[in-house]
Amino acid sequence: MGKINLTALRVRQTAINQFASGKISQLPQWVQVVGEIPPSETLIRTPAPQHELVRQRLKTLPGSSKPQVVFEVQEKTRKAKKASRLFKPVGLKYEEDQIRQEFFRDHPWELARPRVILESTGKDFENYDWSRLQQPGKRLDGESVVQRQLWLLNNVPDISKTAAYDIARQEFYKLRLKEDIERRVAAEEAEATGAQFGLSYLDIGMNLENQQYEKWKAWAKTEAQVFDQRNAALSGAPEMGETEAEPDAFGTEADLLAPAQAKA
Amino acid sequence: MIVRKFGLRQSRQLLALSRQTPISRRFLSTEFETPVAAAATEVQTPPKETIVPSENPLNEVMRASSQPQEQWSEGRIWGMSESRRRKFNRTGSVVEEIYNPETVLDNPPRPSDITLELLLASGTHLGHSTSRWNPQNSRYIFGIREGVHIISLDVTAAYLRRAAKVVEEVAARGGIILFAGTRKDQKRSVVRAAQLARGYHIFERWIPGALTNGEQILGHCETMVVNAQDQPLPEFKRDLADRPSVKPDLVVCLNPLENVVMLHECGLNNVPTIGIIDTDADPTRVTYPIPANDDSIRATNLIAGILGRAGEAGQVRRLKAAQQGKTTYKPITAEQLRLDPFTGMLPGAEEKKRV
Repeated sequence: MGKINLTALRVRQTAINQFASGKISQLPQWVQVVGEIPPSETLIRTPAPQHELVRQRLKTLPGSSKPQVVFEVQEKTRKAKKASRLFKPVGLKYEEDQIRQEFFRDHPWELARPRVILESTGKDFENYDWSRLQQPGKRLDGESVVQRQLWLLNNVPDISKTAAYDIARQEFYKLRLKEDIERRVAAEEAEATGAQFGLSYLDIGMNLENQQYEKWKAWAKTEAQVFDQRNAALSGAPEMGETEAEPDAFGTEADLLAPAQAKA
Repeated sequence: MIVRKFGLRQSRQLLALSRQTPISRRFLSTEFETPVAAAATEVQTPPKETIVPSENPLNEVMRASSQPQEQWSEGRIWGMSESRRRKFNRTGSVVEEIYNPETVLDNPPRPSDITLELLLASGTHLGHSTSRWNPQNSRYIFGIREGVHIISLDVTAAYLRRAAKVVEEVAARGGIILFAGTRKDQKRSVVRAAQLARGYHIFERWIPGALTNGEQILGHCETMVVNAQDQPLPEFKRDLADRPSVKPDLVVCLNPLENVVMLHECGLNNVPTIGIIDTDADPTRVTYPIPANDDSIRATNLIAGILGRAGEAGQVRRLKAAQQGKTTYKPITAEQLRLDPFTGMLPGAEEKKRV
């Protein structure tokens, strides 16, 4: 039989043959079902679907006043395909890909925002109308800008890619700003009615940083004292008074830095 | 392209006119007590911020929020938040459409509900990395995206409908349907599908030999004779003593990759099979492949649910016909049941012949 095992695909023929030869006394119930609904041809290869990048634009062609919908197919370098590659799947390309890449290259932190990628019915797109940026039931994110820009490219006559990008981007910035203000007002309202949010992340971070500074200060003081004592031991008692006269932390720091420079 | 000061807080600017210049907290760092009690080098603490009374009422709010509030006990804060929650819980918007992963188990969609959107949302189109593909699956593959093969959704829908039809027809003819899904989280969907289709299920492990060596492995299992309306007939119990173990008429496998042995035994015993074939699986292992993602539990739950619903429809059809005294299959007679399974004669007939 070679590599390919067709036993599973030929269950019906096998059952009929077994019945004909008397191996089984009666045909199984499913034989008729499998005869009525035959299994598909599994091993026949079909040419892989070819995907081309198609751009839809609204253009005013020379000689006509009304803008027309124009579909541009990206020209491919037509190389003769090897026969073995005929059935190989081809990469999927969409116009959004480039737009998306550009947007997230310019706004990398948009990728850090949490995003819902779960759909319950898969029909969310039916509620979306990209003639405006904000959509019901969808959080504003980078994908909104991409879809909005694509809508502009498809529906506004003679618009350039950068112009569409600028329009979508400006709308996005405005909405983000509005969101920011709304959030702050809500927080302030909540605080005014008694909510407690505790320390902010900035405060926590600042406290941690302060603790480290304090540790460093303690360490620097002891180091400075040791250094002073060593200096005093080397050069005699009278200089002790001078070092003690400098109570400032910056003085000790300068002292600390000096030997390092000297070594260098 | 990027506007740097985009995030500037506008409303703070309104306050800027009558507000004191803010003192950065960093300069207050020396307020902390130093562990070293060195009197000579101690830094003097800066004077505390004096609050200048201003006319702007917003300043009051700002100051109230920036000042450290008095320390309350945890219990009191908790109680306050609870009372606040109770008070405001009913206000606000109502979220209507929520994704509930249990829905596909509790109320699985029917074969008529299969849409490409549903399949897409369930993630049945995601295949494996292109390097792991089985070229026999090339006709199910739509394209390549991010180095992953994408299974064609319309092919999935067509094959799933065909498989559902097979399950329904086999159930309508009183066939025994076995649902097998041995991956970790497929248990519930497999049991649910078997429950709907009045079939049987395997969710732990296929014991090798359960079909080819059934007398040894399943010999101790309970069997019974039922009538056309699925009512048990205990008077035939003793006739089942020497019968070979029951073979399924259809096996539905949710993970053919792990159940190669089972599918091989089905092939040896000539049992038709339905299986979810991912891009790295061998489609010739099963009679009816369903090209789909077998690694996503949501996808396998959906497919198992649809097949379970199809089986349910078949069983309903069969029982309805049985109530009217009709059968969609050739029923076995009491006499045939009485016959010895090995000799094909009535029990005791052979001894009589010998005598």
